[in-house]
Amino acid sequence: MANAQISLSSPSAALVASSRRRMRRRLIRKLPNLVVLAIAGVIMLFPLLWVLSTALGKGTGGLASGSLLPDGVTLANFRTIFNVSASQDPVLRWLLNSVGVSLVAAVLVALIDSLAAFSLARLSFRGSKVIFYIVVSSLMVPFIALLLPLFLWFQYLGLLNTYGALVLPYTANAFGVFLLYQFFLAIPTELQDAAVADGATRFQIWWKIFVPLSIGITVTLGLLTFMGVYNDFFWPLVATSSPTMRTITVGIEIVAIGQYQTNYTALMALTVVSVIPMLVAFIFAQRRLVEGIAFAGIQG
Amino acid sequence: MSTRQGVVVGDIVHAGGLPLAGLGAPGERRLWSDRLRPRVEPYLFLVPYLSVFVLFTLIPLVFGIYVSLHKWSETTGDGGFVGLSNYKTLIEGQGYYGSQFWQSMWNTIFFVIISVPFLWIIPTALAYAVYRSPAKKLWRMLFFYPSIFSVTAFGSAWALLLATNGGSVNSLFHLNIQWLVGMPQAWISLDMATIWATMGFSFIIMYAAVTQVPRSTLEAAEMDGAGAFARFRLVMLPLLRRASVVVVVINTIASFNLFGQDQIMTNGGPGSATTTITMTIYQQAFDSYNAGGATAAAFLLAIVLGVIAFFQLRVSRRGA
Repeated sequence: MANAQISLSSPSAALVASSRRRMRRRLIRKLPNLVVLAIAGVIMLFPLLWVLSTALGKGTGGLASGSLLPDGVTLANFRTIFNVSASQDPVLRWLLNSVGVSLVAAVLVALIDSLAAFSLARLSFRGSKVIFYIVVSSLMVPFIALLLPLFLWFQYLGLLNTYGALVLPYTANAFGVFLLYQFFLAIPTELQDAAVADGATRFQIWWKIFVPLSIGITVTLGLLTFMGVYNDFFWPLVATSSPTMRTITVGIEIVAIGQYQTNYTALMALTVVSVIPMLVAFIFAQRRLVEGIAFAGIQG
Repeated sequence: MSTRQGVVVGDIVHAGGLPLAGLGAPGERRLWSDRLRPRVEPYLFLVPYLSVFVLFTLIPLVFGIYVSLHKWSETTGDGGFVGLSNYKTLIEGQGYYGSQFWQSMWNTIFFVIISVPFLWIIPTALAYAVYRSPAKKLWRMLFFYPSIFSVTAFGSAWALLLATNGGSVNSLFHLNIQWLVGMPQAWISLDMATIWATMGFSFIIMYAAVTQVPRSTLEAAEMDGAGAFARFRLVMLPLLRRASVVVVVINTIASFNLFGQDQIMTNGGPGSATTTITMTIYQQAFDSYNAGGATAAAFLLAIVLGVIAFFQLRVSRRGA
């Protein structure tokens, strides 16, 4: 812009003016675009602002007051959810259950799927194709078909209401095997050949070459698993019944249809608290997550 | 796949096919390292995955088929072989459960029809709009962030937003609409909440696909005088086909599994107008203790999903 002002007196002033006009015309042409985005943005933000103002507001907050802004800010609702009869709705326990279960599942999936994908993509052995096709076709089995049989199976094993029940079914993650398989196929064979010539074992080749090269996509897989497990509702709902073994996602439902049915502000505080671990994961790994979803989506 | 050709079975995939370490080792070690190790090791890498696959996918699947062919209750267990009668009851719509199965199946299909098109159109339009605007990262975050809410978190938030008495939308706009207990508003509410909360993933996929369209192609179209919309429809859209199919398939499956937000927002009501197939399966299994019938319904749903996904993928391949 500074350049343009200096050159106003120069012979090229006409040129600058025309380029400015062009810029303005360009802006006008882009205006509808920005208006659409702004409207969509407001719609996207509205529920969040409302949840926050209800959870943090005094009295009934944004709910009945007919305005988005609360009368004043208070943490009373958060105190309520962490205090009220800890035996009945152990919110802190639910949160820890969710975070712990999701973390363990994410690490197990990353490890198990990386080992399997390495073997299928880069080692040759009898039956590898058959195993690969079984893995891929198990992607087609929707979870709803497995839900009840898993419940009956865990009931038979006596594992309902345990952390095992909350973690183990997620570890059979065919999507992760497929994702890492695709990634491993693209790694140049020369690296592997050189390692073999140096006398490296298969395990060393996996750990020292393939794991470091795939760390980005593997962490992304872990993140997606964490998100999926943390936010899952159906399986923890059926796999647990004791209040101390619930996850936060199920806990919200219990609270929403249960005792606080009239205490909306506490329910919104609970919603805010439930999102915090996901928010932390999201902030730390937003770029990785976005790239991972894009990669997975484009791989199909 | 070509890398696999010409390699000794059981050996590592590489050009030369050289045996791994162990040359010149004592006889016994050589047997392990030269002959057994290359054969056994690839399977060892697969042991963890295959174990969890067998335990938590294969056994439940086979066991589920077995259960669906029996009269089975969660409380009393096996009540005897009944052949295909659980399936027959459902397909022919016999009795209360049979008619409930079909009603909730149609409800679910209705929801898929009113949600999937929006879950493709809105993310695609927004992806193109963000692509053409400054501050891309900000917009991307704004459209993705609701994905961090679980179904129960956004379900309870929207339930309170849309409550008839004291709900924020009604009080803010001075309305008196029965968002959750009236028809067809209950469907509209579920649709809005679902789109708001779940379109982030589709947006990211569509945005990634949009950015992969070569800029030169779009510029050439602009030179030829194509407006923004024409460029989108004639140049961009055909190149988004693959990503679009992925988004449509993912959202079709997700919408068929509508459960959590429905449970909290409308609880299947008014009446059973928004009761979905997964809610019916859940009720049969855990309220009526009819595990056999519920498993049969789940398998029928799985078959419907498989057939739909198959056709959606076929349509995409034909065009490519």
